[in-house]
Amino acid sequence: MDLLLTEQQSLFAETAARLCLDHGGPRRLRALRAAGAEMDGEAWRAAVKAEWLATVVAEAHGGQGLGAFDLALSLEQAGRQLLMIPLVEAAAAAWTMSRAADMSRASGALADLLRGSRLIVPATEAASWRYGGRAAGLHYDHRDGVLDGSIPFVAYGRSADTFLVVIDAGARPVLAMVPRGDVSVVIEGNVDGSTSSKVTFAKVHVPAENVIATGAEARKLAVQMQEFLMLGAAAELAGLAAAALEVTLDYVKLRQQFGKPIGSFQVLQHRAVNGFIDIELNRSLVYRVLAAYDAGEHHPAMVSAAKARASRAALEITRAALQMHGAIGYTEEHDIGLYYKRAMVLAARYGGELSHAGAFSTLTHESAGAAA
Amino acid sequence: MGWDNTTLFVDDDPADRAFRAEVRDWIARNLPAELCNRSIRIDPPELKPWHRKLYERGWIAPHWPKDHGGMGATLTQQIILFEEISRVGAPTPYPHGLNFIGPLIIDAGTPAQKAKHLPPILTGETTWCQGYSEAGAGSDLASLATRAELDGDDLVVNGHKMWTTNGHFADWMFALVRTDPKAQPRHAGISMLLIDLTSPGITVKPIQTIKGDAEFAEEFFVDVRVPRENLLGALNDGWKVANRLLGSERFTTGHPRNAAVLLNKAREVAELTGAMREGGFLQKLATLEIELLAFSAYYRHAAALHGRNRAPFSMAPVIKIVGGELGQRASELLVEAAGGFGPLAGDLTVGNHAVNPAAEMFEMRRVTVGSGAVEIQRNIIAKRVLGLPS
Repeated sequence: MDLLLTEQQSLFAETAARLCLDHGGPRRLRALRAAGAEMDGEAWRAAVKAEWLATVVAEAHGGQGLGAFDLALSLEQAGRQLLMIPLVEAAAAAWTMSRAADMSRASGALADLLRGSRLIVPATEAASWRYGGRAAGLHYDHRDGVLDGSIPFVAYGRSADTFLVVIDAGARPVLAMVPRGDVSVVIEGNVDGSTSSKVTFAKVHVPAENVIATGAEARKLAVQMQEFLMLGAAAELAGLAAAALEVTLDYVKLRQQFGKPIGSFQVLQHRAVNGFIDIELNRSLVYRVLAAYDAGEHHPAMVSAAKARASRAALEITRAALQMHGAIGYTEEHDIGLYYKRAMVLAARYGGELSHAGAFSTLTHESAGAAA
Repeated sequence: MGWDNTTLFVDDDPADRAFRAEVRDWIARNLPAELCNRSIRIDPPELKPWHRKLYERGWIAPHWPKDHGGMGATLTQQIILFEEISRVGAPTPYPHGLNFIGPLIIDAGTPAQKAKHLPPILTGETTWCQGYSEAGAGSDLASLATRAELDGDDLVVNGHKMWTTNGHFADWMFALVRTDPKAQPRHAGISMLLIDLTSPGITVKPIQTIKGDAEFAEEFFVDVRVPRENLLGALNDGWKVANRLLGSERFTTGHPRNAAVLLNKAREVAELTGAMREGGFLQKLATLEIELLAFSAYYRHAAALHGRNRAPFSMAPVIKIVGGELGQRASELLVEAAGGFGPLAGDLTVGNHAVNPAAEMFEMRRVTVGSGAVEIQRNIIAKRVLGLPS
């Protein structure tokens, strides 16, 4: 549905659609998978050149001073075209680094990130921070600045040059950059060809100049960075689900059984309509929460709502898409399976439906009342 | 930060915020307390004084043009009024006059029809009902069989209308009747007729609903003479006249407020029964609250687009489907939350008010059937939005 964009935003969305169409698509994803590449270097260079990362960085720090809402216009297109680029991750890092109170330590790395010469991705396990939980995998010695432990399920661990690490060190959390050379990375392949890495820090020394924030500031930035990652993945899922439905609609209009296109059968029509409705509501929710996020007015539960729903809807829609394709949907040959696999990865990344529904429940339970 | 499941109902426009504050304050001072949180519906006669009060304040028909007695207000202001009235558990005025036939008369009526019918709709003096459905014409409305034959200056009506909300309280009915039995396609032979229900030859019988009240009625017409001047629009043009309406009515019938209120009741009842400590209940509650948030975002989005004349065709059927089905699921959770109290016929006292979970659930069965079943709405989206073949 029409997002009531400004002229500048419309132009940006159109350009993003063109770029993603040119660089993405199922065929491109297959080629990457065959080559064992988690990331599309060519598409990424194009995205960097188009200055998408600068969208979320303030003008004073070399950016355009727009927001996550604007970036999502390109994320949605990346999702539609199954683009394998670390846009959510790098943008979350850029957003966070550019908001540090003391920019002196982050500015060089941020400039590298925006230029495309250094890929920085978040390494964070403390999603549970958002509702009072604690992460347990890392130890940090404040006196010597030594980091020990590991973080699982880091995206783009194979390609990253630097990890932006969230360290939940008791009362004094730390947000720090750790170069790839200082860590060991165990890489596992996902079903869509992307990877999921376990990043291990074996008594890594983190020099003071790599610490971006500490204490309350680090906690706040880390929470916001995690929310950024969740919303970014939700926007990508929204685009992916819409594309999967379009592929399916094209198919059911053509495929004939009983002498008619199968799209004329009411059962399939209603399944398709349910997918359409899900997509419409998803987009309204994700963009509404993004706008609130940019204004600093969102309730943390809204972020979980957006990620829970985008994850659930994308999986439901891609599963329905497979079913409506019949046997061909179960083959490696047909593209619809790629959408399903990509949806699985993005749904699980930064928390799936049930973990976010649980977070939503915790975040709303205490403060809920019969206010309506 | 506190959580309120109406959090997305906030107004973006400062003028809207001010209007909401004004409405809220006025309602607090003027709404009769006995109208709030009633578990059984309030029939039109009891609602008339409240209708009259809203009329006197100038707020009864915000969406009508000013020169016909409305406020010429935006859709958003109309929604705000609806939200603020239902926020305190009070009934909104019945829509058949104000939202259905009123706008159609403004749109297609003769000067005489406007002068005769619009003022008493605004004051609440006349109660209207909608005579569309018949025993054999529900989802397939174009198959309706009640016929009206020209005889001099009159149309003579014979037939049977059914599922007419407030039919047994109404003074007037706007009815779709068959005036050309041979016309093809069938909807080309239908006219819209305004029928005075005190005319000789009409018998009205209330129908008891599953909820236990008599919301609707059936009407039998035997040689009922209706003056030709009571045709709304041209002869055989009734289908077109009726279809000009469908759309904006969804904004109040499918409002997310319905589900929000039910979920808050479910929460209150769950505190009472202990369901609030059960994982299964909490999981389901979270799922529905998330759906509500998404629907509220969609609804706001749709209203903003409607205000700029940019609303997509799919908007009305989507609101109808999601608003209805979400309301149902919320009412079912309310019954679940009540545990052993769920199937009780009588009211449950929670805090200082009464809740009847079963009645709420029965009430919600209606919303996915009335004014176009959700299955029909899905057919409409499949064909007209997704372009799927017949």
